[in-house]
Amino acid sequence: MQKLVAKAVRGLFARIGRTAESVFRHAGQMTLLLWGVARATFTGRVALGDVVTQLMSVGVGSIPLVAVTAVLSGVVTSQQGGYQFTSSIPLYVLGSVVTSSVVLELAPVMTAFVLIGRVGARITAELGTMQVSEQIDALYSLGRDPVPVLAAPRIIAGTIATPLLVGLACFIGVFAGLVAARFAVGLGAESFLYGARMYWHSWDLLYSITKGLVFGFVIPLISVHMGFGTRGGAEGVGRATTSAVVLMIITVLVLDATFPPLFLN
Amino acid sequence: MIEYLDVHKAFDVPVLSGVSLTVETRETLSIVGPSGTGKSVLLKTTNGLLVPDLGDVRIDGISVYHSKRDALAEIRRKVGYVFQYAALFDSMSVFENVCTGLSDGEERRARTPETLRKVCDALEDVNLDPALVLHKLPSELSGGMRKRVGLARAIVGRPEILLYDEPVTGLDPVNTAAVSRLILEIRERTHVTSIVVTHDIEQALEISDRVALLTHGKLRFVGTPADFRTSDDPVVRAFADRRVAAAAALQLVERGQPEAENEEEP
Repeated sequence: MQKLVAKAVRGLFARIGRTAESVFRHAGQMTLLLWGVARATFTGRVALGDVVTQLMSVGVGSIPLVAVTAVLSGVVTSQQGGYQFTSSIPLYVLGSVVTSSVVLELAPVMTAFVLIGRVGARITAELGTMQVSEQIDALYSLGRDPVPVLAAPRIIAGTIATPLLVGLACFIGVFAGLVAARFAVGLGAESFLYGARMYWHSWDLLYSITKGLVFGFVIPLISVHMGFGTRGGAEGVGRATTSAVVLMIITVLVLDATFPPLFLN
Repeated sequence: MIEYLDVHKAFDVPVLSGVSLTVETRETLSIVGPSGTGKSVLLKTTNGLLVPDLGDVRIDGISVYHSKRDALAEIRRKVGYVFQYAALFDSMSVFENVCTGLSDGEERRARTPETLRKVCDALEDVNLDPALVLHKLPSELSGGMRKRVGLARAIVGRPEILLYDEPVTGLDPVNTAAVSRLILEIRERTHVTSIVVTHDIEQALEISDRVALLTHGKLRFVGTPADFRTSDDPVVRAFADRRVAAAAALQLVERGQPEAENEEEP
């Protein structure tokens, strides 16, 4: 019995050690990647054309899905808020609830989730496939550094496009909430906007866009890092993509949780 | 001249255990050996794709691992690398893929007639018709054509050294013979120094000035094809003659020894 307990404790410590080693290794590799991206960007080794191509893919390509998500977020918040407020709280407060929910939380987080699924997973799969098919080695062998060619354009494009997408999601979400409030609980646009203005802080939109900036930076950073680290053929690409998506979701939620104590209190 | 100086490399288990070898300028050397003995790993240490745990590789006296980033980039430009599965960039056309083998300046002027001519020349050198393949994507090409585009990309920048990683793996006999002929033609025309990693012993003996046999991370034999054929070493003989190899494998199976444990199995 004693032996079994000792074995289990040893196993637990070994597992903790392996996890800690993995966390530090990933953190170290991401720091090096970040340093490489910063150096490539500030020494002008990143081609503008590559950044524009990625901006079209990350930004323009994501607009329809971000818009749909924002519409649904606004509509659902408006309908459920209206259902709870009817005959208890003045209905114009719904304008404030919808606006605050969409701007402070739903628009940045839902946009981040859309980008994780649409952009982050694609980047990891794309770079992972390039890694296992030796295309990254081919770049090195041709005297080209993959960081300015592959990593930097994606990270720069994500950092530029995501705050803009979040701003768009805020506008669309609030507008959708306004229209839904009209049909769900009969709240007119003027009353909705009155409620929205009553509790509105101009800082809120900046807060939301700052979230977008941070999420737009970490999503491509993690996905590029996981793509470059892919090993082991098609199965390895699948494993890396799954791990990248999980890591990106957790990172976004943890960062989201750190925002209120840092910026709202 | 390429010098491997006591190169060690391990991935959990040792793969290369102190390989020292010199490849003279304009020489063609083939590296043969069983799977998993570190042939491709040794090739990848030549231009810094893998960093040895110990030892060094020098090209024309310049260390690949103790040089600055710019010097390493310069060394890599001297070296053309033909990958096992071509490693063409999926999203680029054949023209763009071959263009990446040119210098940065030439690649930026990609649409000039001079660059187009260089790319077409490289494609013709590997027996591909530019008019037919220039604007195709790698996914639209056969395996043999992809390998030849990979070779065109490696030679378009007129490298001084060419590294071939399993150039005939997965090819049918006709394409295997064609690639062997291409390697010989390129050597005759450009006087390039070549290292060929291959499983195909017939090809190695046909195209090489010297053959190196790598087993268990160490060089077992280095010599001319004639010396290889007449060697008394049973491992070399097993490689030189497929019938000997088959008989040795059969003997071991009959004795009840698993094939995987057979150190002399090619």
